[in-house]
Amino acid sequence: MTSSLVRQALILAALALLPGVGEAIYFRHQISWQSAISPSELVTVAQVHAWGENVIWVDARPDEEFARDHVPGALSLNEDRWNELLPQFLAAWSPGRKIVVYCSSLSCNASREIARRLRKEAQLPDVFVLEGGWEAWLKSK
Amino acid sequence: MSGPSTLNVQLSTRPQFPWRIVDVIVAGIFIYAGLLKALDPARFAMDIDNYKIVPWFSSVAMAFYLPWLEIFCGFALVVRFLYRGALSILTALILVFTLATVAAKVRGLDITCGCFGHASQHWSFPAHLLTNLAILAALLALCVSNRSAKPL
Repeated sequence: MTSSLVRQALILAALALLPGVGEAIYFRHQISWQSAISPSELVTVAQVHAWGENVIWVDARPDEEFARDHVPGALSLNEDRWNELLPQFLAAWSPGRKIVVYCSSLSCNASREIARRLRKEAQLPDVFVLEGGWEAWLKSK
Repeated sequence: MSGPSTLNVQLSTRPQFPWRIVDVIVAGIFIYAGLLKALDPARFAMDIDNYKIVPWFSSVAMAFYLPWLEIFCGFALVVRFLYRGALSILTALILVFTLATVAAKVRGLDITCGCFGHASQHWSFPAHLLTNLAILAALLALCVSNRSAKPL
């Protein structure tokens, strides 16, 4: 009985490999196997300060956290209200400005997701993710 | 010849109607969750990476593989083909997901579980844990109820 169970599990595991490999080939240009964010897309607070005024901050945290406090001048753009907030963000953005997205901390992933969608769906260049997020910003003050 | 004893054996190996409902519900959950993740592997890879358990390379590999494993196992439950194998894989998966969730909570990580794509991004830890435990309970119940079933 145990061997039958193992055999069944192995068959299913092998079957699932086929579409998995197919999908990996299909998405080969969209997902990097090396790192979640290329080092060139990750920036520190100091780097952003060095860019001066040519930066537009994007707060990817939920609305209530944005309302509590945020980087001065930051625009809220989160996944809950992506469709509603994106037009407002695009109205404020202008070509040549660098976009820096942040979420709550080093371990959150909302900033990566928003940055990915800005690049992929809004087709915007110069989109960066703030290393350490809001916590890093607070520490730098 | 089909005497009463043969009939009894056949009846005992046939899944009872309420258990078929549980089969289909559990299968539906995994097929739905698998499809959502298969459609957006980049997001699922980031969700896995956020648990800070495996390197990025492994997160990507799992993001391509796990959704299909869930889908195939879900269908196996529905059609009752490779049934026990599917049950054991899904039970192992939900156990691992639950342990990873608890570990992330203990380590203070701000995670998105990624279980159901965008739909689950703001699930609280208790909601996430309760869902996993409910699915685990259903899977274990199915394992027990099908112990006497004839293997395919």
